[in-house]
Amino acid sequence: MINETLISSENLSVGYGKKIIINNVGFEIRQGEILTLIGPNGAGKSTLLKTLAGYLEPLGGVIMIDGKNASEITDKEMAKQLSVLLTERIRPELMTCREVVETGRYPYTGSFGILSDKDRNAVNDAIEAVSVTEIADMYFNEISDGQRQRVMLARAICQEPQILILDEPTSYLDIHHKIAFFEILKKLVKGKNIAAILSMHEVDLAERIADSVLCIKDGKVSLSGSPSDVFTAKNIMELYDIPEELYYKYFG
Amino acid sequence: MSRKRSITIFILLLIGVIIVLFANILVGSANITFAEVMDTFVGKRNTSSDILLKIRIPRALAALLLGGALSLSGYLLQTFFHNPIAGPFVLGVSSGAKLIVAITMIYSVGVIGALSSAVLIISAFIGSLISLGFVLLISRKVKQMSMLVVCGVMISYICSAVTDFLVTFADDSDIVNLHGWSVGTFSGTSMDNVRVIFVFVIIGLIGSFLISKPIGAYMLGESYAKNMGVDIKLLRVMLIILSGLLSAAVTAFAGPVSFVGIAVPHIIRVLFRTSKPLIMIPACFLGGSIFCMICDMIARTVFAPTELSISTVTAVFGAPVVIYIMVSRRRQEI
Repeated sequence: MINETLISSENLSVGYGKKIIINNVGFEIRQGEILTLIGPNGAGKSTLLKTLAGYLEPLGGVIMIDGKNASEITDKEMAKQLSVLLTERIRPELMTCREVVETGRYPYTGSFGILSDKDRNAVNDAIEAVSVTEIADMYFNEISDGQRQRVMLARAICQEPQILILDEPTSYLDIHHKIAFFEILKKLVKGKNIAAILSMHEVDLAERIADSVLCIKDGKVSLSGSPSDVFTAKNIMELYDIPEELYYKYFG
Repeated sequence: MSRKRSITIFILLLIGVIIVLFANILVGSANITFAEVMDTFVGKRNTSSDILLKIRIPRALAALLLGGALSLSGYLLQTFFHNPIAGPFVLGVSSGAKLIVAITMIYSVGVIGALSSAVLIISAFIGSLISLGFVLLISRKVKQMSMLVVCGVMISYICSAVTDFLVTFADDSDIVNLHGWSVGTFSGTSMDNVRVIFVFVIIGLIGSFLISKPIGAYMLGESYAKNMGVDIKLLRVMLIILSGLLSAAVTAFAGPVSFVGIAVPHIIRVLFRTSKPLIMIPACFLGGSIFCMICDMIARTVFAPTELSISTVTAVFGAPVVIYIMVSRRRQEI
């Protein structure tokens, strides 16, 4: 079986209003692959992800989603194709984790959002997949950050997308939860044969989980390729402006 | 698991509405027996029928419908602003409505005589939307929920000041009527008014049910809601129109009524321990009905024959709830 390309871009420019932040972005992600975005703070990783997820209009170039130009896909169709896990922290009141996950079924339910058996199964599967079964009926505001990110991943998964977009999903998690999160993510992406694109700061972990890497710096893609090509000491020093002696002091 | 609990509370609320409605009809300065009430219901006329049909029943029904409307309006505004202390009274929506109704009353009495109910509601609706417009402009600048409410209260004071000014300098016999109304009361509601109120409130209630699904998604924030395919602009417009319409119906007939829109949805959330819109919408409505009917009964009986304004009573019970929410939230945020 040949893995199809699920999302790609060509010559894409992203930014706010008229101001372009990153120019000429090109990439493609196939089924079962994870692409990670790395680069210094403020380089525009979030802006790129927001554009791919449809929150911002591209300022040039095209995004192709499952063979279609993204600008021709309606919000409703898009909801079944692509789901997100964002950096903004939500605190919905008196909503259980299960109810938060259930919102992922939104594109599939009728006018009043009442869940069918199929929806319920999808919710249960998602909850199991991220191993939050024991806390599913607790209120979302009562659980830990690590658990919350997993619940939000379950929510994104039960939307049955082909593409997952995750903006720094593990930034404020401890190392235990970071590893647990990436384990689950990797399994889901392979198991469901979907594509994921995520931004992250943990260079060491990015190397382990990515199938391909995009480095963003100074308004452009400064480097891209497979993890083994990208993650060399020289590249990391350049990308994050780390002087050589400091790099070896801390990473060597 | 919580389904049983929800159904039980719903049944209790329904029974509560019926009991309080009967109590409101039975209790009053004239002594009316239960038998007389039942006779009037089945169509047998007696000496008390007039009091019942022209005064007590319409007033009780008005409190039922408008109380529900007010509470639901508060719930919709809280959803819109992601803010548990938003409500039509504290955001100045009621006062805006009051101002435009006062202007309409004062300047049109000479022109078209007595005002029809529909004209009153439409004036109140326009006033509500104007106030909400100001609040929306401010909410772009202020992100803190308490600041937004402070701004709303200021808008409310400005509108009340202008209303007072107009009332003071307008010379007309209708002003007496206007004055009682401008502090809030359910008295003087006729059966015809109740019919008009019913139509507007039912529209508001059905409209709210129709947007219950996107409201559920909107609780996770706009970004997630958009990702689920919610038309955010349409939802925001619907929330504003429906909450404006519901609180306009209240202001047009009863004047501004304080704190019901915040206190009742909060109590309902705590009772049901959920914020599911499909439960919240009908439950807030029923809870508001019970709350307002009880408050109105207190307003007209405790110091009889002197009648309190409805806001006096709702504030006594409602304001502490609001303070409680603010204090407990502050603790959570630290």
